[in-house]
Amino acid sequence: SMARAHDTYGQELLNRRVSLQLANLTVEQAISRIGKEVDVKFMYNPRIFTQQRIGALTFTNERLSDVLDRVLGPAAISYEVGGKTIILKRVATGPESGPNVEKPVPPITVTGRVLDETGAGLPGATVLVKGTSNIGTATDADGKFSLNVPDGNATLVISSISYTSQEIAINNRTTLPDIKLASDVKSLSEVVVVGYGTQRKKDLTGAVAVVNVAELQTQPTSQITNQLQGRASGVTVLGSGQPGEAPQVRIRGLNTFGNNQPLYVVDGVPTQNINDINPNDVASMQVLKDAGSASIYGSRAANGVIIITTRRGNGKVKVQYDSYYGTQIPKSGNVWNLLNPQETAQLKFNALRNANPNTAINDPLYGSGATPVLPDYISPQGAKEGDASVNPALYNVNPTYNSADQYNSFYRITRANKTGTDWFHEIFKAAPIMSQNLAVSGGGPQGNYLFSFNYFNQQGTLINTYLKRYTIRSNSQYNIRENIRVGENIAFSVTDNPRVNALQEGSAIGMAFREQTIIPVYDIMGNYAGGYGQGLGNASNPVAVQQRTANNKGLNNRLFGNMYAEIDFLKDFTARTSFGGEIFMGNFHSFTYPTYENQENTTTNSYTENTFNGSNWTWTNTVQYQHNFNNTHDLKVLVGTEAYKNQGRNVGGTTQSYFSFDPNFTNLSTGSGTPTNYSNYYADALFSLIGRVDYSLKDKYLFGATIRRDGSSRFLNYQYGWFPAVSAGWRASQEDFLKGVTWLNDLKIRGGYGIMGNQLNVDPANAYTTYGGDRTSSYYAINGSNSANTLGFQRTRIGNPDARWEKNINSNIGFDASLWKGKLDLTVDYYNKEVRDLLYTLELAGTAGLGTAPAVNVAKMRNHGLDIAASTNLNITSDLKINATATFTSYNNKIVSLADGIDYFDQEGRRFNGSYIVRNSVGHSIGQFFGYKTAGFWNSQAEIDAANAQAQQKTGNSAAVYQSDVAVGRFRYADTNGDGQITDADRTYLGNPNPKFSYGLNLGATYKKFDFSIFFYGTQGNDIWNNVRWWTDFNANFQGAKSQTALYNSWTPENHNAKAPIQETVGSFSSANVPNSYFVENGSYLRAKNAQIGYTLPANLLKKAGVERLRVYVQAANLFTITKYSGLDPEIGTTSNTNNSSGGSLNQSFSNTTSFGIDEGVYPNQRQFLFGLNVTF
Amino acid sequence: QGALSDETLATESGVDALLTGAYAALDGQYNNGSALNLSGSDAWQASPSNWVYGSIAGGDAHKGSDGSDQPAIDAIAKFTSDPSNGFFNGKWRTVYEGINRTNSTLRVLAKATSVSDAKRTSFTAQARFLRAHYYFELKKLFNNVPWIDETIETSAASSQPNNVDIWPKIEADLKYAVDNLPATQSDIGRANKWAAMTYLAKAYLYEHKYADAKTLFDQVISSGVTSNGLKYALVNKFHDNFDAATENNSESVFAIQMVANDGTGTIASANQGDMLNFPYGNSPFRCCGFFQPSQDLANSYRTDATGLPYVDAYNSHPVKNDQGVASNQAFTPDADNLDPRIDWTIGRRGIPYLDWGNHPGADWIRSPGQTYAGPYSPKKNIYMQATQDQYADNHSWAPGTAINLNLIRYADVLLMAAEVEAQLGNLDQAQTYVNLVRARAANPVNFVYKYANDATPLAGYSTTTAANYKMAVYPAGKFTGLGKDGALKAIYFERKLELAMEGHRFFDLVRWGTAEATLNAFFTYESTVTTDIRGGHFTSGKSDYFPIPQRQIDLSTSSGKSSLTQNPGYN
Repeated sequence: SMARAHDTYGQELLNRRVSLQLANLTVEQAISRIGKEVDVKFMYNPRIFTQQRIGALTFTNERLSDVLDRVLGPAAISYEVGGKTIILKRVATGPESGPNVEKPVPPITVTGRVLDETGAGLPGATVLVKGTSNIGTATDADGKFSLNVPDGNATLVISSISYTSQEIAINNRTTLPDIKLASDVKSLSEVVVVGYGTQRKKDLTGAVAVVNVAELQTQPTSQITNQLQGRASGVTVLGSGQPGEAPQVRIRGLNTFGNNQPLYVVDGVPTQNINDINPNDVASMQVLKDAGSASIYGSRAANGVIIITTRRGNGKVKVQYDSYYGTQIPKSGNVWNLLNPQETAQLKFNALRNANPNTAINDPLYGSGATPVLPDYISPQGAKEGDASVNPALYNVNPTYNSADQYNSFYRITRANKTGTDWFHEIFKAAPIMSQNLAVSGGGPQGNYLFSFNYFNQQGTLINTYLKRYTIRSNSQYNIRENIRVGENIAFSVTDNPRVNALQEGSAIGMAFREQTIIPVYDIMGNYAGGYGQGLGNASNPVAVQQRTANNKGLNNRLFGNMYAEIDFLKDFTARTSFGGEIFMGNFHSFTYPTYENQENTTTNSYTENTFNGSNWTWTNTVQYQHNFNNTHDLKVLVGTEAYKNQGRNVGGTTQSYFSFDPNFTNLSTGSGTPTNYSNYYADALFSLIGRVDYSLKDKYLFGATIRRDGSSRFLNYQYGWFPAVSAGWRASQEDFLKGVTWLNDLKIRGGYGIMGNQLNVDPANAYTTYGGDRTSSYYAINGSNSANTLGFQRTRIGNPDARWEKNINSNIGFDASLWKGKLDLTVDYYNKEVRDLLYTLELAGTAGLGTAPAVNVAKMRNHGLDIAASTNLNITSDLKINATATFTSYNNKIVSLADGIDYFDQEGRRFNGSYIVRNSVGHSIGQFFGYKTAGFWNSQAEIDAANAQAQQKTGNSAAVYQSDVAVGRFRYADTNGDGQITDADRTYLGNPNPKFSYGLNLGATYKKFDFSIFFYGTQGNDIWNNVRWWTDFNANFQGAKSQTALYNSWTPENHNAKAPIQETVGSFSSANVPNSYFVENGSYLRAKNAQIGYTLPANLLKKAGVERLRVYVQAANLFTITKYSGLDPEIGTTSNTNNSSGGSLNQSFSNTTSFGIDEGVYPNQRQFLFGLNVTF
Repeated sequence: QGALSDETLATESGVDALLTGAYAALDGQYNNGSALNLSGSDAWQASPSNWVYGSIAGGDAHKGSDGSDQPAIDAIAKFTSDPSNGFFNGKWRTVYEGINRTNSTLRVLAKATSVSDAKRTSFTAQARFLRAHYYFELKKLFNNVPWIDETIETSAASSQPNNVDIWPKIEADLKYAVDNLPATQSDIGRANKWAAMTYLAKAYLYEHKYADAKTLFDQVISSGVTSNGLKYALVNKFHDNFDAATENNSESVFAIQMVANDGTGTIASANQGDMLNFPYGNSPFRCCGFFQPSQDLANSYRTDATGLPYVDAYNSHPVKNDQGVASNQAFTPDADNLDPRIDWTIGRRGIPYLDWGNHPGADWIRSPGQTYAGPYSPKKNIYMQATQDQYADNHSWAPGTAINLNLIRYADVLLMAAEVEAQLGNLDQAQTYVNLVRARAANPVNFVYKYANDATPLAGYSTTTAANYKMAVYPAGKFTGLGKDGALKAIYFERKLELAMEGHRFFDLVRWGTAEATLNAFFTYESTVTTDIRGGHFTSGKSDYFPIPQRQIDLSTSSGKSSLTQNPGYN
């Protein structure tokens, strides 16, 4: 997987500049001189050299490759880069002949094969006799080598870039067993891709998290961003179990009130969307976290940048097939602790008695006895078996009715499900997941290629949700001449992905904890049953909700990629041009059936279809200069330009009143109702100038500077912005005083400062005040018509021509250390970000009138935090090796100011009637929960009287009460401001959905042919607002399904030590009508996200079948979770945007909300069990 | 991208469209797939019918439905709301958007040099009429509100104070409208001179300027016509005021024009603000069981042996109800004397519910046992079965209707004029006006009759009345005999009966200064019937006006300090 880095390193080596004079030396001597001059090691069999001497040669700042060509060419010796060294070989010219063929030959020839960690042959690995500097060779394309050694007792040192070196004693063998190298991504010479170029890891001065892609890819999901969770320090990922739902990704906390999504740069092309990238195609992934590394992306850098490089081929043709198949199993049991029908009825009676102790109960469903009696039928209400009213002959329901008269004539007969319907398991079923991936790759001096195909099919555990995706990729490069390379990276994806809006009232998941358990799924004739009638609640049948979406389908296509050309010229210069982008289009159609089974039915039917398409392109041109002066000063300078243009169009419509609901009949033109349609167009553009300087002094003192100037079409009066950054590093371990410290192999201290921008939160029309018509709000029947409106206009937008960039002023300090010979690698970063000129869409005072308020640069925010990444590799024995990688992420977010006179804005009203769950307030972090703090219950009237008396005393008002709507058994709220009364000033911050920290831990081990890994992820210190409890724990909150808490653990005169308040028939301020701390729970959790055991079949067995490598594995994802959270899944993302019916483009972000951690029916991450296969031919 | 600048709109048709937009804000509604008011919160928070702020707060009705559904309305009903109750914010913002649209119209009109003087005057007068209407709403609800007109830039709106009485400004806008609007309009939906004059007279009444009011009411009653030229008069059939087929009739002084099935697939123009106010359960309306008339209101329709109301002691003659009686159990409705308007105002068990069949009682009430909000359903806003294809709009989870919302109907005018006459001591004239209203209601054409066949309600009615209707006009000299206070009491009570459930009651009670006594008595009585408003209490000097929304106080700042002052009692 590090092939790309490998190539890049080799290229860099051969591009090193050399100035020297050679005269009257043997070729071997000349090579030795060059090696010293350039600080590069050569390896060869000494027998390849003749005693021939070379003439006088003078080189001035010439490329190493040119020098070698001149020196070695006449001696018929070829060279290639193998790992960190250059391997010299005699050019094969048939049987060796010539005057020097008699040179003594070492006595023993040893052959062997070097394998990578996956068991595939590793080409280009260096094989060197220990203690010599020049007796060695490199492995061929299959990983094989053959070396003449002087001594059968010698030891070979096998090394390769990105792998841990290994020694093997020859022990007089001529054929050695296969040598497997362990991956060593932390290697200092590793090359990482940074903004518009590459850098050796040891030269990095910015905060860059390099992700171990191989570990990442073990998580079975369609989204690379999901896989990123816990794998990179400084990155927070919030996902769900819904197939295809892009998770929310945040780098170093929250930087803006709007879109917090990072910029993705895939093979050099910036994009906001990587949802359809085939995770198997990813070769490397780097997260640029601070200004030093990211601000070269200027106006789009503020949320951080994730750089992704896709795979390329090398070596001989290789066919790789990776596949897994598995099943996803919903959580078992009574997941929401809901009551069965008898218990539900009992709770209802209890609540009625609590409200009116002296009134006899006469319930149409449960009778008028002392204890409720379940009816045989819920429709006709309360009917008994054998009643005339349940005669099936009376039954009359036409599920595909299309007139109100038909609806009004229905006669429903539905048996009660006395044992209770388990709605969760009626809609959540075990579901398969599979991925089939085929890749063909190869490469040589003329270029390289990779072709891949992926078929991914994840059925959702929630019925009728799924992701089916086909992805093909073709990456190729053609080396036209030695100094000219052209190539392309291109991927095409086709996606079919119906989803639901989870976490919101109205989804099938939300209905599953609201639909009463006495309601069966179907009525006596197999049509849907529901709450129709009285006393059964207004929830919808969740099975019906989901089954009715079965024919709702869509397809999205996206072509994403780039083409590029590079040319090396004037020795030190490389020019590169890249043109890339995407073209996408998609459509979705859905049919809304009329309902008949619920209490609140929709009697109309409608068909909606929409399509969207769009494209964007980025054209980047850079010129790089690189020169090493006297082996002391290494200077790299890059300048460039970048242009970006984005545009798209959405169109769609809805028609109502269909004669038939047959999917072959319904389209926008076959409905008899009035068709409505819509369309819109958007466009925006950027133009940028880029500059970057990297300077290194003696490999010890590092300095980097970047600057970018961006011009954006989204701004009017301030279109251009400058984004500078500087960073520096000091490799302290290179200093003499630390050279003697043996346990410290490398220590680099880094720091950076700079400005990053953000423009995502500005609508392209932000600058203008506009008017427009809306048929629902500005049209009016001025002529008195009862059926048609007349055109009218309203103000649609209030302009702000003075908006400018958000500025993220960022400082970072950190260190990288490698201890005990690489047994422990540690990267630690501390950062502070101050976001100024934060674009905030002011909520205008009502007196200003409506119209979209403009974004104004008024707010300020601060983030600071610590990122830690550590890894270790231990070889316990030669058979047993273990490794561990840990990441730690913390961020602390604080709103410093909003706008003049405005201290907060609220979000998430839900069912709280104008009170909000979330308050974003100055001095607090984004998304905090806000409301009244409960302080137990009112246990007696005496307590109430005492509190009122105290309130009257404190306020001097004889009519004062401590708290409104008090009654025995209800919540007592804490008087947080101590004024003796509960007023809205007593509301306080009840919790924070932002974790104090999150962490990931990957443990891996290999034992002989077995490999094992397990990955844990956790968050600590975050709170969850469990809004499910609003529905289930309070009898008064709609007549839905209720929880065991409500019946068995609510306040009663006998049970003062209860969890929930007294169960009543009315809601109140003192129970659940206002947000209060009852709903806040600790959301910390630790999850075993992934565990895998693999076995690689012995190579000799496979050879006969022509298979190079075959590994099988079994895997369990989301194996277990440790949490105190009482809900379904503590991983709560943001409210999902289903994106499939809104006409939104794939570019729409999912992360532009500042409220999260609110559970109102989460789509849970399910346990998955998989069987997988990796084969290489 | 689909948007217009004010330069493009500065033409006659552009300004006219902006003015139409200002009319469109009358219903305060918007729908983007969910039912919202213009300011983006729940539709019903800003219903122009004021069913929450006028009728429920005034004791005409309960919130209804289920205890946990829209509980903020219960807090309004009980006068326990604090200023952060979201309903006030929704109403405030929506009404100010209406004002903003009138101001936008005037601002763009000033730039539209091509508009003729006649048109300019007409546009200005209509815009100022609408602006006066919106401010009247705010004045009734919040009393102290900031005045924003077309001279105040959007950026300065938040710094306007609410410490200046806006009655003079409302009067000025209405006077301009009276002076400049034509007597009739080509479009029935546009305000005419007489609507403006009525509105101005109503403003004078609220200000207790009875003499000024009388002058105008006299003209309105003698010469007023509707926008389509019909002489103001009570329609023969009381229910014609609540039927889309007979709207814009001679009684309709100014109405919000409602549209059903407008092609948007939403009910935004179909009185969306009242969408919750239909019977629930297995009723043909599907949703939502709100706005249940109170027992106190039902009792008010009791008449004595002479057919006159029990102005004081009506709760001692309660109307029999079916509370606690399941629909499949037998129930016989009240058999005593009743004002027939009860059965056009209150849906009750066993009485024809328009042409939908007899009201089944509990089956249509959302709360089990009818204990939460009583046994009744609303009736005035309900469309008929026979014409539902035309006038019902079922494009949402709750119904919409094409029935216009009368902001002022002529019966209201007569009763306001009666008040003015009584205040000025003209008790006979006052009685004449009241008796016009009573006589219309007492006409047997306004009795509700049993169906010819209960199973086929659409087939028509029998000649048997559904209840024992007994109603008469006040005998000659009655008001004089009662004296001014007694006469006023009778007039006030007549307003309650005639205009019940039409959003006026609370504002009337406050205007009369009788809110505290009336409403606290209401809480005491009604709490013996239902559980929802137990603990309600009206506090004089505080509860007369709703609190300025806390969010608006927080958002309206001028150099760091709020420019809005909270109403007394809410701090």
